[in-house]
Amino acid sequence: MSKFKNDTVQADARRFLDDRGSSAALAPNGLNPATIMEKAVKDRIVDSYFYKEQCFALNEADIIDRVVEHVNFIGGTHGASQKPSPFLCLAFKLLELAPSDAILNEYLSYGGEHFKYLRALACFYVRLTRQPKDVYQTLEPFLEDRRKLRRKARAGTSLTFVDEFVDDLLTKDRVCATSLWKMPKRETLEDLEILEPRVSPLGDLEDLLEEDEEENNDDRANGEREESGEISEGEMEVDRDEDRDDDWRSRSRSP
Amino acid sequence: MSDSKSKSAYGVAAGDTDFRKNWDLDEYAAKAKEREAKEREEGKARYEAKLAGKKYHKPLTGNETYTSARRNIIDVSAQVGKTQLVPAGTGVGKRGKGAGFYCEACDLTFKDNLQWVEHLNTTQHLLNTGQTTEVKRATVEEVHDRIEFYIRRKEDLEKEKATSLHDRLQLREEEMQKEAEEKRKKRKEETEKKRQEKEQAAKVKTEYGEDVRIEGEHDEDDMMAQMGFTGFGSSKK
Repeated sequence: MSKFKNDTVQADARRFLDDRGSSAALAPNGLNPATIMEKAVKDRIVDSYFYKEQCFALNEADIIDRVVEHVNFIGGTHGASQKPSPFLCLAFKLLELAPSDAILNEYLSYGGEHFKYLRALACFYVRLTRQPKDVYQTLEPFLEDRRKLRRKARAGTSLTFVDEFVDDLLTKDRVCATSLWKMPKRETLEDLEILEPRVSPLGDLEDLLEEDEEENNDDRANGEREESGEISEGEMEVDRDEDRDDDWRSRSRSP
Repeated sequence: MSDSKSKSAYGVAAGDTDFRKNWDLDEYAAKAKEREAKEREEGKARYEAKLAGKKYHKPLTGNETYTSARRNIIDVSAQVGKTQLVPAGTGVGKRGKGAGFYCEACDLTFKDNLQWVEHLNTTQHLLNTGQTTEVKRATVEEVHDRIEFYIRRKEDLEKEKATSLHDRLQLREEEMQKEAEEKRKKRKEETEKKRQEKEQAAKVKTEYGEDVRIEGEHDEDDMMAQMGFTGFGSSKK
């Protein structure tokens, strides 16, 4: 009987997390949403006060309330007790709710324009549950979103950007205390003609590489004539590297 | 039974027991009968459910609402600093009203906020407060509206923030002036009141000269003077 009632969802996660078999439907990529997150992380989420108080009886619209009011950083677990972040708790709630594509689109485009953490959350959810083709197609437009995000990890808080986060989702295998399922690479999908080759906003990648090579050739030709110039350039590069290192450290230290 | 009620045990009606409450025995008998019938019915349903190998659930009344999300953060510090009377014998177990977070619907008391939140999420509590344990899903339109609401709120907040320093200073000045005016008014009223009282007192004194004493009026004062003190704490006369 409950199978036909699709307009309601259970208020708590008890049935969703039942070890004897979840009643929830599979995600579009064929995974069981109840096992996408790791058991240890899942247990921490369900035990956390934020989840019990703020994530109880949410529906798709209430998720927006919570994101706007409570999410001000992305991340998995933090602190000595490995407290799960509100971001992660809400991602888990989304797995429970399994919102439709239309609602996800609202989160990503209309809501995402104004609330960057809502977009980050929806991107994370899309990466966890959708098919590879859809993941690439929905997430790639957000590689042009340059808004800042705060990221809290075990090491401390650092600065990141929406495009960086989306890139992590597409390329890395572990983000926000969740191991992402292994997605085929973009090149493979292109070879299978499932995806069109991507045109980077920077322009054609091969043209860029060619230009670089030409510049290098020019440099070499110049360098043969004036050797001293090349040495000084090399030193400068070293300096620049050190600068970047310092920059990175200070960034990770800042709150 | 009812005819024996009017007579006492000695056969004569006692006249001095009219103050006792007269219980309507029939009414209570009917009530008891009703309750017993209900209990028997429930017991039968329980038994049948057990025979069928199922768990018994109270039948729904049809007035249940969907469970909905909390609108605000649970305020656990609301009772800090308050004094409460707690019935004797509480403090053991959760049943009944005691010191802590008390749930009226379930008649339970909890000692910490974690237990309290967990209780608010239980099926037992939801059913006792007339909610199903299910949540209505939101449609795409609802989601869109909610996002719109938050965008509008954000814009309003920004507008508030955007008022210039000059404007804010002016607002503040006006507020301060208003406050000062009110204080001045209050002070004036008080001084006026005091002045009038003083005048009244002076008038009374001049009306009665020292030599025109009314019998018994100043007896108390005289007595106190004799005993060596002039008043009870207050310096006024």
